[in-house]
Amino acid sequence: MGTENPGRPTFPARPVSSPFAAAPAPQTVTPFASMPGSDPPPPFRPTPPAPPQASSPFSSFGPPVRPGAPSFRPAPPGRFNDPSVPPPPPPQSSNFLPAGNFQQFSAPQFPPAQPRGPPPMMGQPQPSFQPPPAVQTQSFPASFPPQPQMPHVPMGSPPPPPSATTPGPLGTNVPPTAYQPSFPGYARMQPGAEIQPPPMHSANQGNYGPVPPAQSSPFAPNQGGYVQQPPVAAPLGMQHMPPPGSASSIQGLTEDFSSLAVQTRPGTIDQVFDAKELPRPLDGDVEPNNLAEMYPMNCNPRYLRLTTGALPSSQSLASRWHLPLGAVVCPLAESPDGEEVPTVNFAPASVVRCRRCRTYVNPYVTFTEAGRKFRCNVCTLLNDVPSEYYAQLDATGRRVDLNQRPELTQGTVEFVAPTEYMVRPPMPPVYFFLIDVSISAVKSGMIEVVAETIKSCLDELPGFPRTQIGFATFDSTIHFYNMKSSLTQPQMLVVSDLDDIFVPLPDDLLVNLSESRSVVDAFLDSLPTMFQDNVNLESAFGPALKAAFMVMSQLGGKLLIFQNTLPSLGIGRLRLRGDDTRVYGTDKEHGLRLPEDPFYKQMAAEFSKLQISVNVYAFSDKYTDIASLGTLAKYTAGQVYYYPAFQSAIHGEKLRHELRRDLIRETAWEAVMRIRCAKGVRFTTYHGNFMLRSTDLLALPAVDCDKAFAMQLSLEETLLTTQTMYFQVALLYTASCGERRIRVHTMAVPVVTDLADLYRLADTGAIVSLFSRLAIEKTLSQKLEDARSAVQQKIVKGLKEYRNLYAVQHRLANRMIYPESLKFLMLYGLALCKSMALRGGFGDVPLDERCAAGHTIMTLPIKRLLKLLYPSLIRVDEYLLKASVQADDLKSIERRLPLTGESLDYRGLYIYDDGFRFILWFGKVISPDIAKNLLGADFAAELSKATLIEHNNEMSRRLMKVLEKLRNTDRAYYQLCHLVRQGEQPKEGFLLLANLVEDQMGGNSGYADWMLQISRQVQHT
Amino acid sequence: MAEVLYWISTFVLILTLLCMLGYQLILLVDLEFDYINPYDSTSRINQVVLPEFIILGIFCFTNLIAGHWFTFFLSLPCMYYNARLYFKREHLADVTEIYNKLKWEKNKRLFKVANLVIIFVFSILSLVWTLTEDVH
Repeated sequence: MGTENPGRPTFPARPVSSPFAAAPAPQTVTPFASMPGSDPPPPFRPTPPAPPQASSPFSSFGPPVRPGAPSFRPAPPGRFNDPSVPPPPPPQSSNFLPAGNFQQFSAPQFPPAQPRGPPPMMGQPQPSFQPPPAVQTQSFPASFPPQPQMPHVPMGSPPPPPSATTPGPLGTNVPPTAYQPSFPGYARMQPGAEIQPPPMHSANQGNYGPVPPAQSSPFAPNQGGYVQQPPVAAPLGMQHMPPPGSASSIQGLTEDFSSLAVQTRPGTIDQVFDAKELPRPLDGDVEPNNLAEMYPMNCNPRYLRLTTGALPSSQSLASRWHLPLGAVVCPLAESPDGEEVPTVNFAPASVVRCRRCRTYVNPYVTFTEAGRKFRCNVCTLLNDVPSEYYAQLDATGRRVDLNQRPELTQGTVEFVAPTEYMVRPPMPPVYFFLIDVSISAVKSGMIEVVAETIKSCLDELPGFPRTQIGFATFDSTIHFYNMKSSLTQPQMLVVSDLDDIFVPLPDDLLVNLSESRSVVDAFLDSLPTMFQDNVNLESAFGPALKAAFMVMSQLGGKLLIFQNTLPSLGIGRLRLRGDDTRVYGTDKEHGLRLPEDPFYKQMAAEFSKLQISVNVYAFSDKYTDIASLGTLAKYTAGQVYYYPAFQSAIHGEKLRHELRRDLIRETAWEAVMRIRCAKGVRFTTYHGNFMLRSTDLLALPAVDCDKAFAMQLSLEETLLTTQTMYFQVALLYTASCGERRIRVHTMAVPVVTDLADLYRLADTGAIVSLFSRLAIEKTLSQKLEDARSAVQQKIVKGLKEYRNLYAVQHRLANRMIYPESLKFLMLYGLALCKSMALRGGFGDVPLDERCAAGHTIMTLPIKRLLKLLYPSLIRVDEYLLKASVQADDLKSIERRLPLTGESLDYRGLYIYDDGFRFILWFGKVISPDIAKNLLGADFAAELSKATLIEHNNEMSRRLMKVLEKLRNTDRAYYQLCHLVRQGEQPKEGFLLLANLVEDQMGGNSGYADWMLQISRQVQHT
Repeated sequence: MAEVLYWISTFVLILTLLCMLGYQLILLVDLEFDYINPYDSTSRINQVVLPEFIILGIFCFTNLIAGHWFTFFLSLPCMYYNARLYFKREHLADVTEIYNKLKWEKNKRLFKVANLVIIFVFSILSLVWTLTEDVH
């Protein structure tokens, strides 16, 4: 990107910086330490403690928003030789978190990366300074001794708002354009970018020795410690970093934002974007790690991501941030091997928490008074340390047992909860299966697959030996199964009175799996045959649901519903709807996506109250009203799996994998979750599958690693006085082993006063996740069209505000500008509008699939959501044809292609992978070799009938290996292969072509058009 | 005599309605401050929703037959709104969404209270007016 390595291009411009910069001896440098600070190249970087990150997108560093460069350049060259001139303030002071950071500089702990950090001093333990983004302060190892006294200079003098006028001197000295990468050039984002650095770099090297380009070491800011001299305000005002994008530096412009030039099509007046230049997330989701440098003790972003890695300091600032302000939490995200969450047991003491705000002890609390008290980082209350938890402080103010206390060093930790955290003894894992056995279910073969899968998972169900299990089946009657351990065969009990449901033998329907194992096995063996001749068409789903509720009401647990026929008998019966095209586009349209019968909402509320989580598996080939059934999952932290027109021969494998994962993944039972933050900020709305038990308490009867929750926050006070805001997510749950636990994620973020910082730290993934959830919720009360235009409007507003930051100073006509951190936002917005849940109207997506997609999106973690919105398209034929393959050669197929029809070559074979399914696209003139080898004898036949199985040849094995590898990247869903040949209508259309989000389809605009629309609205509304 | 009965019933009905709305508001505020769980709160609110609608209906009806047109017209919008909610089956508080709609539910009831207070004031004024008429 044109924006990375920002400072560099200015080097050559710098006249005589060598005297200082080259000065090797630290002591000589010291006095000027601040000078280089405002001066981009990192002159000394003997042993970079952090890996050079030049190649990483700078966004991870934070954009060079106000790096030293701009301020330096204008400064008269003579300055550098004149030590009497007060050096400019340390960069970090002027550009970021002015006041707060200084305290933190003295902060004892340095990022772990640092080999010999100064011993900690008193003060807050957080090692939290913002490594000033692209400020290339050099880090002199020798100059590292602790610097307790901090420059007070910049304290409390916030950086001028972006709109501030440029300081005089700066304006006069316009950077020599000779050194500019040609101005128009920078606009071409991708290409230009990569080229710029090298030459500069070499120039750089001449002066400074080998320097990893553009690196800001994590402790660079410490440097601030040296800069006591620069006194105070006078120079500060002058040399303050010019506000981002001030006119003084065109260079600054490259650093501040990315932009796209609108071109005029030759011969016409139509304006277009060059499709090749549009940003595309071909690397998938990139987790933001800029906070990790500032606050290394934060929890991993896989658990908690904020839409922007900073908090606006005032309501007025927050109101200018038009994108959502909030968080996306995935409390139980799977952690890679070796990073297991540490478990802490405080027994016999209780869990250590702040007395007033109930915050759990975390790495950011500070211990004082020789370790007898700790200060809560959230509400600053001084708490007593329980005697069991007491430890002395060493000379530097750290607890001596710090290394044995993961809760004081890690952002994610699990506490074992004592009995105060239980309202009843921890429940055992309970699985209850409610299976439809009407004729359509029998015919589809669903029962067989389900029985088989459950049986194969019995050994792996979590919580052995306490696990409980039960079954009921239903058609027009309800069948219970007595599985008492003393029996050898299960006993079937039929209830046919649907109006007044009662449960026979309430104690023996839900049994301990390990005791009744043989009976359960016998039942699952006989289940498929038991109903194979059933000709019952009806479904008494509602009454069966009530019965299951009664059976489970004692313990709670997980209810898995396998449903195949539209509920037709008893309470909760549903009727066909959604086939009326006239409703679409009217005010009644949203009603189709809402539950038809209030029964389902009531049941969901009751389920949630009694700790029952409902997972719905729907299989019907006809309308089955996912909108109503999904409600059950929505309020009970469940999940909807929808297999339209299920046939066991085709979809069996998918069901098997997904049911298996559902059964054996680690599950947190009877959980509640809360996110806390300091006073002044409040979480207002929550989005996802859960039920609110009080204003801020999410009830999650069962939750697992595949569920994420989003929330939005608002500022309650007009002005935040703190410099750091802490968020703490606490999930109180019963582990399958029967232990009550609290999983706590803590995150600290800076409070900023500058809108540009919010944009710089924005996290596209989290924003898109919130956008999608808000859009889906909107479809429940408004038309699809409205939901789509709301997405677009929000993006436009966000970009417009951003443009206003810069547009005044720069002539930006015909140029679309956006922050580097949000470069994919527009594309994801477009993809969201074209997603299954929001796309088109009546004819485009069947109602059930639309609702199921909506329910899925409401639970998806960010990574998976982004993959679903912008799936990967990979060409594989070249790989398959390659003569020899090395083991690591699979890498060559990891190159993702833009999702447009132009990427498809009619000679190729492509895999389209959205995380839920694979679509294999065979080009028209694909080499017959490939087709033959992969499909065997089927290759000439209709592909809809062909299935992909491994054939006995190298090519087929290789393809299978590729698919397996792709599946292994994310095991939450099983990607079933759909085969389609080019030109095969209508299958090609709805399987692949409709999903190429960058193409124009029907009434939807393509990517370039969408960008143009947005760009126009940003400029003209 | 009928007039006396009318005035008595008017004030009794208005006061009952105010009490019912006050009760619902208290429950909603309690919910907001976490003194009560959503299940209890909504079930108690829902217990009085229909009676409230019916009483308002009776109130309108008595005004209609008693010929107090202005009072009748004052209470008509509220009546219409209630009927609409009822026929859309949206009159009951929804426990699953109560927190998201808390603000709206509260405002709705505050509005009704304001409406009733206006009716009440107007009724008193017109009572005083009729009394002074009688005296002269």
